[in-house]
Amino acid sequence: MNLLSYLSFLILTITLLTMVFGVVAYFLYKAREKKKGGNKISYEEALQQEGEELLFFTKE
Amino acid sequence: MFGGFVLTYYSVDNLQTIFIETSNVFVRVGVILIFVFTLFIIIRYLLLIFFSVFQMIKRSAEEELYLDKSHAVSIIVPCYNEQEGIVASLKSLMNQTYPNIEIIVVDDGSSDRTYELAKTFEFNDGIKSLRVLSKPNGGKSRALNYGIQRASGDLICDVDADSKLDPFAIELLVQHFKDEEIAAVAGSVKVINDDTFITKLQSLEYIEGLNMVKNGQAFLKLVNIIPGPIGMFRKDALKKVGYYSHDTFAEDCDITLNLIAHGYKIDFEPDAIAYTEAPEHLLDLLKQRYRWTRGILQAIKKHKKHLWHFRKNKALFFVMWYMLFEAIFWPFMQLWGDLFMIYLALSTGTSQLLVFWWIMFTVLDVAGAVYCLLITKERLSLAFYSTIYRLAFITIINVAKIFATIEEWFAIDMTWGKLERKGRIG
Repeated sequence: MNLLSYLSFLILTITLLTMVFGVVAYFLYKAREKKKGGNKISYEEALQQEGEELLFFTKE
Repeated sequence: MFGGFVLTYYSVDNLQTIFIETSNVFVRVGVILIFVFTLFIIIRYLLLIFFSVFQMIKRSAEEELYLDKSHAVSIIVPCYNEQEGIVASLKSLMNQTYPNIEIIVVDDGSSDRTYELAKTFEFNDGIKSLRVLSKPNGGKSRALNYGIQRASGDLICDVDADSKLDPFAIELLVQHFKDEEIAAVAGSVKVINDDTFITKLQSLEYIEGLNMVKNGQAFLKLVNIIPGPIGMFRKDALKKVGYYSHDTFAEDCDITLNLIAHGYKIDFEPDAIAYTEAPEHLLDLLKQRYRWTRGILQAIKKHKKHLWHFRKNKALFFVMWYMLFEAIFWPFMQLWGDLFMIYLALSTGTSQLLVFWWIMFTVLDVAGAVYCLLITKERLSLAFYSTIYRLAFITIINVAKIFATIEEWFAIDMTWGKLERKGRIG
């Protein structure tokens, strides 16, 4: 195997692995954000959504 | 640089041979696309390096002994849950050499001790002052506007609460406002926690981005983003464009485009430095880049009419196309190019093209990195990371950028998502 073929194989393998790693990392990030529950809203925002109606919180 | 040209010649020569020898339409179209993309990248590198060198020469020729201290500067520090970094940030602001400074901390409804910590620094000695304001949580852009509208200075300096400034930063930024056409000046952002593998890569990225890209843009007085950690604005200009808007996730990019749309010029001061904490974990880094990409795309979308009206505002036309190239075209083409090269190597066995293609970009990266490290007097050892930058880092970032672009295209909901800071600036 000459040097160019060897380097080519190395770059090809690393590139493919990095792409797969990038996709996996992205979905891991999305899963983490979903788990964190990034969509929590503040009391003021909830009040605004409810059209200034009174809000009642129930005990679970 | 010369090596880059030699490798470009070999890459183009190989592409030409494949184009002539193949009858496969997909390969032919692919070869043309790769050729056009390579051409764009090389032109971009050359233009930015040349403009950056010209800008440096211009700066050294214009150096003045007289320092303008006639402006009153209001520094706005919006903060939300910044207890880790707020003390170091405020101390760096109080240590500024510029005399006429008013510091306004806007606590955006923090649930931690940010407000209490900032409040202990309140003072007013008649020349410099620091006051802390508090408002219900409403996002960074609203917090900035809240502070700006209560500021008394004619120049506004926006600073992130998780960054700290070099003592001469404000003094250096103010000097650019002698030119009446300048509405804003961007400062330099450097990574303070560049002690791990991932933060060293980001440090190199910041150094290159600032010294090659921003310096190059400054030659034309068309810097396209005033960074969150340090940027100074003329208050009148901010008022004229209606202050910060709340409909994008990149308020810094949006306001810069707005200022250019109103005919203003934007400059860059490389020696006004803000030190910021870079994400130390890959998922945090992806979170940051995801938000930046979607924010920039939202800002581009807002101003999209300027993409097709060259005569209306030539400056904005060029800035918008440049941003579109960096935000969408480059990541897609880079990833597609890699996949196409792999396909070519596997289907035709032309392994040398893949090697030349990769080395060509790496040589360009290393040359750019060495140039930037030399002019900033940073550690040259960081140049070593530019090979890893090309081999792995940029691909991972590009994957996140592409997903962010697709999600923005389909208008999938996103939240601000604050990055957790470790307080490394202290």
